[in-house]
Amino acid sequence: MILRKRKAGSIGLNLTSMIDVVFLLLIYFMVATEFRTAEESFPMDLPIRNHGQSLMLDREPLVILVESTGQGQHDVRLRLEGPWDPLPSVDALFAFLRSNLAEGIGSSGLFTQAHPILIRPTPQTRWDHTLTIYNTAAKAKYTNITLDEPS
Amino acid sequence: MARLGQGVSAINANMTPMIDVTFLLIVFFVVVSQIVDRDVVPMDLPAPEQAVSGISEEADRIVVNLVPTAGGEIASIVVAGHAIGWDEMDSLTAIVKSRIQSGASEVHLRADKATTYNHIHGAIEAIRAVGTTPRLQLVVNGDQP
Repeated sequence: MILRKRKAGSIGLNLTSMIDVVFLLLIYFMVATEFRTAEESFPMDLPIRNHGQSLMLDREPLVILVESTGQGQHDVRLRLEGPWDPLPSVDALFAFLRSNLAEGIGSSGLFTQAHPILIRPTPQTRWDHTLTIYNTAAKAKYTNITLDEPS
Repeated sequence: MARLGQGVSAINANMTPMIDVTFLLIVFFVVVSQIVDRDVVPMDLPAPEQAVSGISEEADRIVVNLVPTAGGEIASIVVAGHAIGWDEMDSLTAIVKSRIQSGASEVHLRADKATTYNHIHGAIEAIRAVGTTPRLQLVVNGDQP
């Protein structure tokens, strides 16, 4: 029997179709990918309304009245309900809250960390201004912050 | 001049590095891509300076999206895959209540930074009307300006 000698050839894998699919997948994911911005949040206990009920004097909340005056981060008018000096800015509010926070024995602060802070925006106050004030109170280490009905 | 004794050889590009890089890119996009997140409606969230907000848990949450219009109004409310009218607060209460009864433990409120407080307050009151609601999470943009 005569065996015909075969010519030695290289065994190659046809990669064309795989590359086609891989590129399709790549293009799909590049188009469909959406880099979501990181979201954070402020936890807030839902407000308890005290219509017609008296409050304990030492738990009377500190009410911060908020009104937007523009679209900028600091375009906001602030006022504290009660016998307090006017607050010209958000920074002044932070300074007020920090200076009146009672931290430890011997502190001259008027409010404890758990003292209720009530933020009362006007109906037309922008949400970012409301949260700026919320953040200011939280940054001053107060823990009992609530949003009130619009004034 | 043709040389005798030499066969015609095919010229092949070496595809190995390209396939390596392409697979790496695919793995990267598969990992980072977020194909569908029906809970989240794109909007311009508030971004307070030096925010002391925390990263919120994504498990067992109800996301209430107040979809904004120009001028601080809200066009609709998107919650748990339902789109309801901005004035259908009873529906909002009912949806949140049913989700809480089925195991959700947190309510995330997402609103555009220009939305006015009267609309936000309406939504908060509707959520409060559920009665057994745990803490509300006020969502902000975590990227510091």
